Amino acid sequence: MISKRIAENVIEAAMATGGDFAEIFMEDTRKNNVSLTDGKLETAAANRIHGAGIRVFNGLNSVYVYTNDTGEEGLIRSARQAAQAIRAGGRHQPLPLRGSLAANIHPISVLPGDVPGQKRANLVHRAYDAARAGGESVSQVRVNLGDVDQEVYIVNSEGLMVGDRRVYTRMGISVVASDGKENQTGFVGPGAMMGYELFETRVDVERAAREAARTACVMLSADQCPAGVMPVVIDGGFGGVIFHEACGHSLEATAVARGNSEFCGKMGKQVASPIVTAIDDGTIANEWGSLNIDDEGTPTTRLVLIEKGILKNYMIDKLNGRRMNMPVTGSARRQSYSFAPTSRMRNTFIAPGEHDEDEIIRTMGDGLYARQMGGGSVNPATGEFNFAVTEGYLVKDGKIDRPVRGATLIGKGSEVLMRIDRVGKKMWMAQGVCGSVSGSVNTNVGQPMIRVTQMTVGGR
Amino acid sequence: MQLNEFIDRLFERAQAAGFSDYEAYYSDGDEFEVTVFQGEIAGYTVSSSMGLNFRGMFQGNMGYASTQVLDEQALDMLVESARQNALIIEDTDQQFIFPGSERYPDLPGANPRIAEISEQQKIEWALELEKAALSLDERVKQVQSCVLATVSGTVRIKNSKGLDVSHSSNALEAYISVVARQGDKVSTGSDLLATHEVEDLNIREMANRAVKEAVEALSARPVASGEYKVILKNDAAADLLGTFSGIFSAESAQKGLSLLKGREGQQIASPNVTLMDNPHHPTALGSAPFDDEGVATTVKAVIDKGVLTTLLHNLKTANKQGVQTTGNAAKGSYAAPVGVAPGNFYFEPSQTSLDELIAEMGNGLLITDLQGLHAGANGISGDFSLGAKGYLVEGGKIGRAVDQITVAGNFYQMLNVIEKVASDLKFGFGRVGSPSIRVSGLSVAGQ
Repeated sequence: MISKRIAENVIEAAMATGGDFAEIFMEDTRKNNVSLTDGKLETAAANRIHGAGIRVFNGLNSVYVYTNDTGEEGLIRSARQAAQAIRAGGRHQPLPLRGSLAANIHPISVLPGDVPGQKRANLVHRAYDAARAGGESVSQVRVNLGDVDQEVYIVNSEGLMVGDRRVYTRMGISVVASDGKENQTGFVGPGAMMGYELFETRVDVERAAREAARTACVMLSADQCPAGVMPVVIDGGFGGVIFHEACGHSLEATAVARGNSEFCGKMGKQVASPIVTAIDDGTIANEWGSLNIDDEGTPTTRLVLIEKGILKNYMIDKLNGRRMNMPVTGSARRQSYSFAPTSRMRNTFIAPGEHDEDEIIRTMGDGLYARQMGGGSVNPATGEFNFAVTEGYLVKDGKIDRPVRGATLIGKGSEVLMRIDRVGKKMWMAQGVCGSVSGSVNTNVGQPMIRVTQMTVGGR
Repeated sequence: MQLNEFIDRLFERAQAAGFSDYEAYYSDGDEFEVTVFQGEIAGYTVSSSMGLNFRGMFQGNMGYASTQVLDEQALDMLVESARQNALIIEDTDQQFIFPGSERYPDLPGANPRIAEISEQQKIEWALELEKAALSLDERVKQVQSCVLATVSGTVRIKNSKGLDVSHSSNALEAYISVVARQGDKVSTGSDLLATHEVEDLNIREMANRAVKEAVEALSARPVASGEYKVILKNDAAADLLGTFSGIFSAESAQKGLSLLKGREGQQIASPNVTLMDNPHHPTALGSAPFDDEGVATTVKAVIDKGVLTTLLHNLKTANKQGVQTTGNAAKGSYAAPVGVAPGNFYFEPSQTSLDELIAEMGNGLLITDLQGLHAGANGISGDFSLGAKGYLVEGGKIGRAVDQITVAGNFYQMLNVIEKVASDLKFGFGRVGSPSIRVSGLSVAGQ
C-alpha cells in the first residue's frame, strides 16, 4: 500500500518541526451492503473507503491530519501540515522501518469480495421468510446484510511498519409487529470477524429471524412497565451492555487520563461486588470485536479489567499512556482513517459466576427481568448511565408474571457494580456498534445472567 | 484524476456498459478542529476528504457504488459494482434520475467570514473558552472537553439528464463541557454552538451556561415517581423531535414503519402545534437550494395547527403515492442510497416566553436534558423512556435541580397533549430545532 521509501519520507516530514513521534495510518476498505424491505431487495451498494491519517505528538500534544490523497505528494503535504502545528524546536530521529505483517489469529475462509450478489440476496430472503413466519402480527421485516474488508498499513517513527486485513460480516434483522394502532419492534444483529462462512459455521439465519419476530410479538401484547426502584435481573448476551455503559467507558483511558472518570485513582481498590470479574479481550478467535493488531499497530491483548471486584486495568492507547505514564494495552481503535485512534473496548464481558439461573429469579421477590436489552449511554465523569430494556418481564414473588414494555434502567456505574448479588454460570456475547470520540467501532458485549439488588426503572 | 475528467469518463463507461440513465453525486469537506486541555493544545485535527457516489438505471433497476479515490480502478469498480447491484434489486417502485427544477431558491452559500478565521484565532478562542469556564466558580476545577471547529463542504450532482448543480456551506462550532465537584457529588454541564455567523460566538456566555448547569446540578436529586406536568426546554424538545422525525417520512409510512400512514388531512396533534420544514431558514444549518436528487427545496408546514398537511417525499415515494415530491430526498452520506429527511425541522415558536410557560404551569418539571435517545426512544412505536435532568417547578417558579430520573411517554400521544409552545426557538447541532414546549403529563420514575 505504501513503499518503505515514501513512508520514511512522510515520517521525516511529519517530525521536521520537533515532533517526538509520528505515525501513518493508511486504509483501503471495501464495503458491501444490501437491504430488503417488504420481501423485496431494495438497495444494494458497494463502497470503497480510501485514505490516510498522519499523527504527530509533541509530549502530550497531538496533531492529526487526514486526507484521501495518498500519493507521495499528498502524504508529504499532509505530513507538513501536521508538522506546522507542532513547532517544538529540537529534532527527534525516527528509527529505521522494519516491515512486517500482523500474525493472523482470525482465519477467514469466504472473502466478501468473492461472494456473488445473488448469495447475499438469498441470505436476506431466508431471514425475511423466517421472520414473516415468526408470528401472526408481524407487519414488516427489514433485513440488512453488510460486509467490510479493511486493509490497513500502519507505520510509525518507532520503526513499526505493519499491515493487517480485517474482514467483518453482519446481518441485522428488524421486525415490526402491529395491531393497526400500535407498533412494537424486535431486533437481532449477529455478526463476526468472519467472511460468509459466518452463515455456515456460526449463525442460524432462520433462528435469528424467529427470535426478532418473537420479541416484537411479545412486546405487542405487553403492558407498560411501572416506574420505580426495584431488584433487576439482566439476562446474558446483550445484557452485557450494562457493564459496557456503566463501567467499560469509564475505564477507557480517554476518560481516565484527564481525570474525567469516576474510576480515577481506584486501581487496586474494590469497585465492584466480589463476585464480579470483568474482561476486555481482543484475542478471541473471529469475534466481532477482535483484532490482530490495534489501530496503532500494537498486538491486541486479553485484559482483566476487574478481578473479584478489584480494579486491575484500564484500557490505554499511546497518547493517553503518556499522560498516565502507563503502557499501552492494544486497545487503540478508530472507525477509519478519518479518526485519530483512542482507547476503546473490544469484546467486553462479565466472566461466568457460580449461581444457578433459576435460583436467581426464584429468590428475587418482586422486580424486573430484563431479557433483551437495547443500547445505552454514559457520562463517565459522573458515572450516570441509561439503557433501554427491549424485552422485559415483571417478576412477582420469584415468578415471571407478564411482559412489560418501555422500561429504561438508569443509575451510576460504581453503585450498580457494588449491588450485583448474583452472577449466573452461562456466559454468552452479542454484537454491537459502539460510538465514541474515535467513531463507530465493532464491539461485543457479554455476561451471564446477573442480578442487581436495586435499580431505578423508568416506565409509566 | 481531476473530478470533471473522472465524471466524464465515468459517464462514457456507464453508457457503454448499458446504463440508461446515471448520476454522480459528489461531496467534499474540510475540517479544522482544536481541542484544548489545561491551557494547552491537546488535539488538533485538519482534514480534507471527498466521496463520489455513482448510481444508474440498469435494466430498469437502480444500482449504487461509491469511492473515495478517483483513479482508473475506481472507474471499473463503480460501473461494474453498480451493474451487479442493479441486477439483484427486486423492488419495483420506480426510481428517477431528475433533469432539474425550473427554478432554485437563491440561498447564501458558505460564509466567507468563517472561511477567513485564522487557525491561530480558533486556537485562541478555544483557550479563552476553557479559561473562562474555569474562572467562574471554584467548584468547577476541570474541563471535560473544550473544542472549537470549522467545517465546510460542497455537494455537486451531475447526471445524464443534464442536471449539474452544486452548493457549498460552512459552519463554526464550539463545545464546552465542565465538571463540578462538591464533596462526593460530581456533576457536569455543557454548551454547544453551531452557526453560520461568526458574531454568534459568545465565549463568556457559553462558559456561563455550562458552569451554571454543572453547579446547579450539584444539589440535584431525584423526585418521587409519578405523573408530572412537564416543560421540555428547547434543546430537549429539539432532541426528542429529531429522534422521531422519521415518522414524518413518506418512505417510513409506505413501509408501515410510521403510524402516520394515510393520516394526511387529519388532526394528529394539538391545535397549538405547527411543525415547519424550512430548508430556506436563514440561520439553521440544514438549508440548501436542492435536495439529494437535485429537486428544488420548498418551505412547508408539515403539521398546520394540529393537522397533518403532508408527509415528506422524494421522487420515488411521491410517485408511488401519486403526489409531487416535497424536495426532501436525502442521503445519510454520499455513499448512502436516496432516502427522505427534513431540511430544517422545528415547531413554530409562539410569542409566549419560557418564563410565562413556567409561571402558568404552577407545579411540574422543567426538563433540560434527555439522555440515551439512540436507545430509549423507539422511532417505530413512538415510545420513549429516557434518562433526564432538569428542575422542579413549584408555584410557577424554578426550584431545586433534579437528576437520576426518567421521563416516559409516546411521541404520537405527546403531540396531542402539547399545551403550549414558547418563543425560544433554538436549533441544536444540526437541522432540528424547537422552542420549549409544555406537555400536560409525562410519567416520571425517580425515588
